[in-house]
Amino acid sequence: MIMAEKIIQEANDRAARFFSRRHFLNDCVTGLGATALGSLLGGCNLFSGSSAAPVQSLNPLEPRAPHFPARAKSVIYLHMAGAPSQLEMFDYKPELEKLHNQLCPQSILEGKKFAFIRGVPRMLGPQAVFQQHGESRAWVSDYMPHFAERVDDVSFLKAVQTDQFNHGPAQLFMHTGSARLGRPSIGSWVTWGLGSENSNLPGFVVLTSGGKTPDAGKSVWGSGFLPSVYQGVQCRSKGEPVLYLSDPDGLNRDLRYQGIQAINEVNRLEYEAFQDPEILSRISQYELAYKMQISVPGVMDINNEPQYIHELYGTEPGKESFANNCLLARKLVEKGVRFVQLFDWGWDAHGTDEATAVNYGMRNKCREIDKPISALLLDLKQRGLLDETLVVWGGEFGRTPMQENRDGKDMPYMGRDHHVEAFTMWMAGAGVKRGGSWGETDEIGFSAVKGQVAVHDVHATILQQLGFDHEKMTYQFQGRPFRLTDVHGHVIQEILG
Amino acid sequence: MTILLQSGWGLFIGRFHPLLVHLPIGILIIAFVLEWLSRFRQLAVLGAAVLPTLLFGAISAVAACVAGYLLSLSGGYDEAALNLHMWMGIAVAVLSIVLCIFRKYGLFRKSWLPVSALMILALSVAGHYGGNLTHGEDYLTAAWPFGKKQAPAAAAYKNIDDAKVYEHLVQPILEKKCYTCHNEQKLKGGLRLDGIAHIRAGGENGPVLKDSIPEMSELYKRLILPESDDHRMPPKGKPQLTPLDLEILYWWIQQGAPDSATVRELKKSPRIQLAFEGMKPSGDGTHPYMPLSETAEPPTEAVNALVHTGLKVMPVAANSGFVMVSAVNAPAFGNAEAQLLQPLGKQIVWLNLAGSAMGDSGLQVIAGLPALTRLQLEYTGVTDQGLQYLSNAKQLKYLNLTGTKITDKGLGYLHKQAGLQEVFLYGTGVSAAGVEQLRKALPDANVDTGGYRMPVLATDTAVFRKNPS
Repeated sequence: MIMAEKIIQEANDRAARFFSRRHFLNDCVTGLGATALGSLLGGCNLFSGSSAAPVQSLNPLEPRAPHFPARAKSVIYLHMAGAPSQLEMFDYKPELEKLHNQLCPQSILEGKKFAFIRGVPRMLGPQAVFQQHGESRAWVSDYMPHFAERVDDVSFLKAVQTDQFNHGPAQLFMHTGSARLGRPSIGSWVTWGLGSENSNLPGFVVLTSGGKTPDAGKSVWGSGFLPSVYQGVQCRSKGEPVLYLSDPDGLNRDLRYQGIQAINEVNRLEYEAFQDPEILSRISQYELAYKMQISVPGVMDINNEPQYIHELYGTEPGKESFANNCLLARKLVEKGVRFVQLFDWGWDAHGTDEATAVNYGMRNKCREIDKPISALLLDLKQRGLLDETLVVWGGEFGRTPMQENRDGKDMPYMGRDHHVEAFTMWMAGAGVKRGGSWGETDEIGFSAVKGQVAVHDVHATILQQLGFDHEKMTYQFQGRPFRLTDVHGHVIQEILG
Repeated sequence: MTILLQSGWGLFIGRFHPLLVHLPIGILIIAFVLEWLSRFRQLAVLGAAVLPTLLFGAISAVAACVAGYLLSLSGGYDEAALNLHMWMGIAVAVLSIVLCIFRKYGLFRKSWLPVSALMILALSVAGHYGGNLTHGEDYLTAAWPFGKKQAPAAAAYKNIDDAKVYEHLVQPILEKKCYTCHNEQKLKGGLRLDGIAHIRAGGENGPVLKDSIPEMSELYKRLILPESDDHRMPPKGKPQLTPLDLEILYWWIQQGAPDSATVRELKKSPRIQLAFEGMKPSGDGTHPYMPLSETAEPPTEAVNALVHTGLKVMPVAANSGFVMVSAVNAPAFGNAEAQLLQPLGKQIVWLNLAGSAMGDSGLQVIAGLPALTRLQLEYTGVTDQGLQYLSNAKQLKYLNLTGTKITDKGLGYLHKQAGLQEVFLYGTGVSAAGVEQLRKALPDANVDTGGYRMPVLATDTAVFRKNPS
């Protein structure tokens, strides 16, 4: 208790600094005004007392209603950082095969800029064998044999376009709707809009496969100008699930509780004085962290899953892997987590070495995700969760139909450069059409010719399935309302059932 | 009065009517209150204030009557409603003057309070009809909080092609932006826009539609005049039409202002095509697990009672009375507490009890929730007995029994639930034969027993390298 007294003393000292003459006069004026205004507003508010929500705490993660009834309760977003090659996975281009190794016609290159291609590159035919699958007859390559059996559960977007050809900005654009820093990520918008169903777990969880973190850094799950309580909480599938969450040696749970109570009491006083939403964030973060000490180890532990599930996903407990993260994503969604963001890494197939060759390194990456992703779809399906969980898969851009020729030189391995004009993403579950496909690229997979979809359209569609009109979901900041979709975005009705 | 009218001052003064009317409303109500309060012995002193208050009220009432009369001469109001409003207003003025005289000379003391009350009654009626004249007849009733909520308009059509051009696209625009001045009671320019026949009939300056040429039709022409123009509609300061509204009206007039055609039946210009593309319905109203009609807001006490057990109660959407309830944080929620769900029977559409202590007897209550379409019972103690109770819940569309102890016997109770669309049975005790029977009984439902496996492929473990070693 001595500790608590100390904290309160410190808070009182801090508060005393704000009792200057200037503050006193300021308080007098606003105090009078507020009293008058309060009584006026109170008088008008006679009827609004009957709202459905019971008196809520100041908790910023309290669940809230969307604009209209939602199809999706949760989102699992699978991001392949580095940008996978659509031409080896989903966008089958037999014409490109015929042009393999020929010089790229000047007409295609004119006026275009590439991240690494210089001069005139050669065309690179698809390095995979394609076949049509399922009732939807969707083309999938032999790089993804298990996923090929799942095509009737998903809808492909074959002509997604972005305007950023470097990883960092493109990832930011894909996850925050802006290529520059400072905007909230999709998951932050969603938790800000809907709150969290489970009050013992974060509303927005981020899982990385280990290895490299996204080039854009943690801003891709940051909360931008939204209160920081809405930022993604990174959990790990290896070691302690959340860093710095467990109690230090010698501190028991009871003492921890008292400490948090005291800190929050002080913070509450601060909030009453300053009304800064960041203080509310801090209070709920402390409370959530305390609850998470119990709840997180449980939900993040995959040891208790039956052998059947481990075989399905190909999971190995204790390892940091994409497969483990897929299983965790299912468990989190089952527990009411709103937004689960998975980042996989190593997809940047330039062909500079074996690990980045489309036919070696990238093929191995495909093998690593093929089974877990298919298992995730099946597992969500058998538990009746796919019905209310939106699964989104994609990279930050696509890859060129040309062989990369970094600095105008031939590369030792087959690789492709960054490509912004057309790439493939897919969505599944929560009202997304089953076995759908929208958008087409030209014969060589360079340009989108039909059904072009912008990054903001993808965002608008995600928000739509969560029950939001993306044009009305705005946050007032720096004197103007901000949206995830800025001034753009059309819901992609073509893939909605 | 004629001089006033001829000089053009009449309308100017008349427009002060909406301002002036509020004076007698306020002052005369005070007079009445003072009159009444002065009856109490401790407050008798207030009696002295009644006469001056009444006097001010009477003067302002007369001024309001004069201004009101001048305003009414500008025309465009429904005769009957206007007459009632006018005579009630005059009655207020007369009664207030009469009361002044009574007070001044101490006549008929007993009548002061009743006459005051009569005056207030006339005042209320006059005020109400005045409001109707200005804002439209249903201005007040439309906002009545206990009435049935209107279903979202978007629910009227799934696809824009199915929308009726007048009913679903044009009428809502006119209703929002034009009806307030062009309605049954307030016919500005002699024009009513609340009905296709009225639109065709036109106003005092002739028809407003001309030969399917929007540029020559007053109904469109006036909308695109500069805002400073006197003929501009809606007038400066009133809610204006959006560019999308203008496109729709233009196209509708161009197509001959049809009254019942759907979008599909008409020829689409490239411009309207673009406009429609921008008009995606916000929430298409075709949610598979939502009832078509709306419901009242849930009773607050009942919601609070549930919240206290740790349940989350969330409205499914803003402006909707329907709620979803989740026990994700309330593992102890069980049979004893199930009763608490009952008062929200009309509101609960989605109920997630996964992992809770709910058992069979609680399902008796849950089966009686009339709006429930989606029920999650994963990993609960529910058995076949519970499904028997549940067979009464005919409106149920989604039923998740993953990880429960139910068997084929329990499935048998579901055979008559034709409304079921999704049934999840992964990890239960059902047999293939029982599931087959259920599928036969419910041919349209998706019955999922899970247990999916993927084939073991050589490529699952192959590492692709340049030099395989």
